[in-house]
Amino acid sequence: MTSSDVDLVVETVRDILTGHEPFVLTPERPWDAGLWSALAEAGLTGVGVPEEAGGSGGELADAVAIVGALAAGAAAVPVAEQLLVAAPAVLAADLDLPAPEEPLSIAVDGAVTAEPRDDGDGPGSWTLTGTATDVAWAGVAQHLAVLATSPVGPVLALVHVAGREVTAAANLAGEPRGSYVLQGVTAPGALLTGAQAEQLRARYALARAVQLSAALQQVLAWTVQYAGERQQFGRPLGRFQAIQMELAEMAGEVTAVAALVDAAVQAVERGESLVLAAAASKVRAGAAVEVVARLAHQVHGAIGFTQEHRLHHLTRRCWSWRDEAGTETAWARVLGAGLLGDGPDALWPALTRVV
Amino acid sequence: MGSNSLTLAPAPRSAAAEEVRAEVREFLAAELAAGSFTTHVDTWLSGVDPAFSRKLGERGWLGMTWPKRYGGHERTAMERYAVTEELLAAGAPVAAHWIADRQSGPNLLRYGTEAQRTEILPRIAAGECYFVIGMSEPDSGSDLASIRTRATRNGDGDWVVNGAKVWTSNAHTSHYAITLVRTSPADPANRHAGLSQLLVDLSLPGITVNPIRILDGGHHFNEVVFDDVVVPGDMLLGEEGAGWHQVTAELAFERSGPERFLSTYPLIAEFARRASDPAQLAALGRISARLLALRQLSLRIAGALDRGELPDIPAALVKDVGTTFEADVIDEVRRAVDVPASLDSPDPLGRALAEAQLHAPGYTLRGGTNEILRGIVARGLGLR
Repeated sequence: MTSSDVDLVVETVRDILTGHEPFVLTPERPWDAGLWSALAEAGLTGVGVPEEAGGSGGELADAVAIVGALAAGAAAVPVAEQLLVAAPAVLAADLDLPAPEEPLSIAVDGAVTAEPRDDGDGPGSWTLTGTATDVAWAGVAQHLAVLATSPVGPVLALVHVAGREVTAAANLAGEPRGSYVLQGVTAPGALLTGAQAEQLRARYALARAVQLSAALQQVLAWTVQYAGERQQFGRPLGRFQAIQMELAEMAGEVTAVAALVDAAVQAVERGESLVLAAAASKVRAGAAVEVVARLAHQVHGAIGFTQEHRLHHLTRRCWSWRDEAGTETAWARVLGAGLLGDGPDALWPALTRVV
Repeated sequence: MGSNSLTLAPAPRSAAAEEVRAEVREFLAAELAAGSFTTHVDTWLSGVDPAFSRKLGERGWLGMTWPKRYGGHERTAMERYAVTEELLAAGAPVAAHWIADRQSGPNLLRYGTEAQRTEILPRIAAGECYFVIGMSEPDSGSDLASIRTRATRNGDGDWVVNGAKVWTSNAHTSHYAITLVRTSPADPANRHAGLSQLLVDLSLPGITVNPIRILDGGHHFNEVVFDDVVVPGDMLLGEEGAGWHQVTAELAFERSGPERFLSTYPLIAEFARRASDPAQLAALGRISARLLALRQLSLRIAGALDRGELPDIPAALVKDVGTTFEADVIDEVRRAVDVPASLDSPDPLGRALAEAQLHAPGYTLRGGTNEILRGIVARGLGLR
């Protein structure tokens, strides 16, 4: 797979999605297992992972395109976590990557400590204790990459969580966000530097920003379409200047988010430092949710406020994604402090270096 | 959605732009150290300094993208973007030449006669010749097609102009006004027909320039009154009757640059100097995230200009989002610090807040109100 295949990849994802309409997630049906199987069969759950590591090959741009297409389709599958965050981190830590058809998620929150079972130098065996909280796709994932703390530094451990007890919780869209209590669990893991741990968190934030960007574009498209179809006072809503102003404001937000997120992804592809670009993307995308979701619901009227209409599949996700993988406020602090790294008079040069 | 008309390709990386950026930074640091200017908010409206403009001209930073035979430097829009955003971020006095370099020169290049280009463009590029925009009138703001200033041919083939233009920034320090005039009677069936652009020398007899002071007392705006002003026949710009089309093209240049989100940047820089507690750092982060997104949008437009495109709809979108941001910065900063806004404040942050606030109503009006811009974006979405 080459990066020139991006359009083809997106087309494949969209084809698969047409057979898998989004549904209201419940504790009994917390994800779209059928969609996941279809994606795995097409090799799409291993994109961005080299073939020699059991993946399908392809570049970051391909993985980003897949995640974006699935986010726009409100797909209830752990693809963002696996393709953009957990799999690259597991590979970078030189741990054995699980098969791409077995869902792999990431845990960066909570308090998990790791004690080395051997000399602790390089990949090795660790004993994990504590609780991993706010775990995306808890109960669905078969494997979990856990960012833990150890006496010698941050550790990335790979835990087999299939069948393990979950304290269930869900985000505003019903996506599983439960906890795992780990009591003396033995797992392979590797020491990270503090910078590597920070990059991992930033990648998670950027993954959510990629999802937000795609979802917000779709919300705008749905709203423009609805405004063109819905007739009131004898003409389409979109003919009213008041509605046009709202849709234009949404378009401004959506376009700004896309420009920044695209630039951040390209910066990652060039191998540039990720943290501030990811922070800015997450903050900007999160801020856009307020405007875009509010105006989308306003234009859709009461039908958009029901589970019968599709709009909530994306607006509820956006309302949660903006808080996940680090809140807007947390990343805004990281960005503000990071931009002043060269001193209080050096903001401008720092800004021109971020992306 | 009509995303194709709103979304542009990502801007290419430009090593040349980063090179000239470093040169501009070095120049600005030296000028600041020498005390040749002091930083202010919104200096592309208020910072008139012909000596500074000439220095930029000497360094090749005006008319950057124009052909060399007209005094230009044949550099890319990406390089020009880097120069302009560095100047704005420093709050440097760039108002004297700003309009001429940004839109009047490109307008002349596109529609001017060879004589007009040869005579005027090298002087703009040298930082010696300044322009004003002659579009709005006392009774014609957003509804530009309703202008009433008219030009009629006399027996010698010259134009006789009567009427008035307003909000002509720095007409009292400028040399020419590209003036939109009605050259045939208004046609209710085609409101955009019968308009033309004239290149008017502001020193001609019959022209009166009256100051209009803005909220902080500053004299930047003027009313320019034309009373039987005889404009030579060869000073028609472009085609007679094509004024509306030409103005629309000009507005794409007027709306797309970094001055549409950096007018209040000096306030952000001042705030950064004291942002220390977590809430202040978060405020700085929120402001910066918005600025970084706008930069990418504006860079994409520079890239599109280099490809020879005229991205009028994306430019309208950037200006809407960018000018909203310029004003929002004031309140983000106000909520994060305990500093009252005052032009007399002993605190530079208090002065920057005051300057930004008193200029704020203009950000979302000049160059097309945000309501007009959103109408253009709505057209890009296929709604009208």
